[in-house]
Amino acid sequence: MNDLPNRARSISSLRDFLELLEDSGQAITWSDPVMPEPGVRNIAVAASRDANGAPAIVFDNITGYPGKRLAVGVHGSWDNIALLLGRPKGTTIRELFFEIAGRWGDQEAQISVVPEAQAPVHECRIEQDINLYDVLPVYRINEYDGGFYIGKASVASRDPLDPDNFGKQNVGIYRLQIQGPDSFTLMTIPSHDMGRQIMAAEREGVPLKIAVMLGNHPGLAVFAATPIGYEESEYSYASAMMGAPMRLTKSGNGIDILADSEIVIEAELQLGERELEGPFGEFPGSYSGVRKAPIFKVTAVSHRRDPIFENIYIGRGWTEHDTLIGLHTSAPIYAQLRESFPEVTAVNALYQHGLTGIISVKNRMAGFAKTVALRALSTPHGVMYLKNLIMVDADVDPFDLNQVMWALSTRTRADDIIVLPNMPAVPIDPSAVIPGKGHRLIIDATSYLPPDPVGEAHLVTPPTGDEIDALSKRIREMQLGALS
Amino acid sequence: MTTTVCGRCKSSGAVTDHQGRQDGAVVWTILRCPTCNFSWRDSEPARAIDPAARSADFAVDAGDLQRYPKILQQ
Repeated sequence: MNDLPNRARSISSLRDFLELLEDSGQAITWSDPVMPEPGVRNIAVAASRDANGAPAIVFDNITGYPGKRLAVGVHGSWDNIALLLGRPKGTTIRELFFEIAGRWGDQEAQISVVPEAQAPVHECRIEQDINLYDVLPVYRINEYDGGFYIGKASVASRDPLDPDNFGKQNVGIYRLQIQGPDSFTLMTIPSHDMGRQIMAAEREGVPLKIAVMLGNHPGLAVFAATPIGYEESEYSYASAMMGAPMRLTKSGNGIDILADSEIVIEAELQLGERELEGPFGEFPGSYSGVRKAPIFKVTAVSHRRDPIFENIYIGRGWTEHDTLIGLHTSAPIYAQLRESFPEVTAVNALYQHGLTGIISVKNRMAGFAKTVALRALSTPHGVMYLKNLIMVDADVDPFDLNQVMWALSTRTRADDIIVLPNMPAVPIDPSAVIPGKGHRLIIDATSYLPPDPVGEAHLVTPPTGDEIDALSKRIREMQLGALS
Repeated sequence: MTTTVCGRCKSSGAVTDHQGRQDGAVVWTILRCPTCNFSWRDSEPARAIDPAARSADFAVDAGDLQRYPKILQQ
């Protein structure tokens, strides 16, 4: 375990990662009998309470699914994310943030191609009498979901109007509701890559084939979950960010897929058809509405021997969804802000996909933090998501909520906040009066500079930096040592 | 006995999609309502699948399916 970075780079599959997690005490097997509902949900929610240290849980004794395996919580804690990034358990969120931010745009993609006949994902193949319920140990994720959902699927597709273009292949995470043994609906919006492709296929009357990958290289879910440029391959991007190769092969319907995934469902869009979908307990902790969504017909399923169905608990936070996408939501905002304002020292957009963000900035002049906040609202993610922004000084760690609360308590003047009315907003925000539109809040909790009235109080400056970080770790190790 | 009445829209005629077995015996059945697409397992708690126990907030009006918006319109 002394070579965590190399071990992380050698991961090529969910199985590799589960082995690493198990070796580190970060994966457990749940072998007691458990009912699909409400048993699986209850255990997943209980694990989510420990955002720092929760293990992945592999179920292998779900009633009615003999011999089938289900994994939840694979990305469900910061310790699991740390191990994925080649860092030890106990690495702080701030350190993980800089680990990801430091990889941004720095590395080369390494893509290798595995012949289909040698790809583990094709070990078993189902082309007739397809029954998703027979392959996947599904369960109702939240109790009023409209059906059985696949919540952690990476969906790969080619641009229906430019099918030979590798860069225009899309890989994204979309929620899928099973609609009978060989059909599912897919929820997306027009601005997402999949939404664009569905609308293009229907407009031109051309087929749209997709491959739904389940139980994937754990880096793909982290780095394919946040939108990148339409013509940038998510595989290349995930490979570059992991600093490791991605092994690709072809699905039976001709799409590039990960060679080592557990399960791949091949399907085709039913042009122009819509079926009732939802509700689904979504990341803000509220249910989506019922809508008519595009439906796909399954044409084949490939899977490894004894496949592991990987799913996620998502709902009212804290959940695996928050640890899965939080850092990679924060890092692009940081990088984009730094292009204009190098005074920005860290960005925390962990909360509900950035509905609340906390930005650390060194004030260049009085009021400067507000300027930075307005720039944040115009970043690609900020346009829809950054609803509440808390601006703190550069010496406040935005990932340490005790420090953020200190800043709010002592730096905020209540007449010095900004409300921007009637801005665009993510429609799924349950506080919306009109879904898709809402107010933005900027709280400037940075210190004052002339010509602001500064006041007479002088701040305490406790010791910080590497020496204190090292002492803190030593204290923790001594504490753990006292137990052993 | 498994009911074929949908817990969400109260329509009848649900179809059986799958049965889970344990040691050869059926331990639960997954049903699907062709009217509102609600899917359920007959072993779930009553508050999720029994129309008498289920919250009205999550009911679907089988007589007014037009009210549900269609996504991705050209």
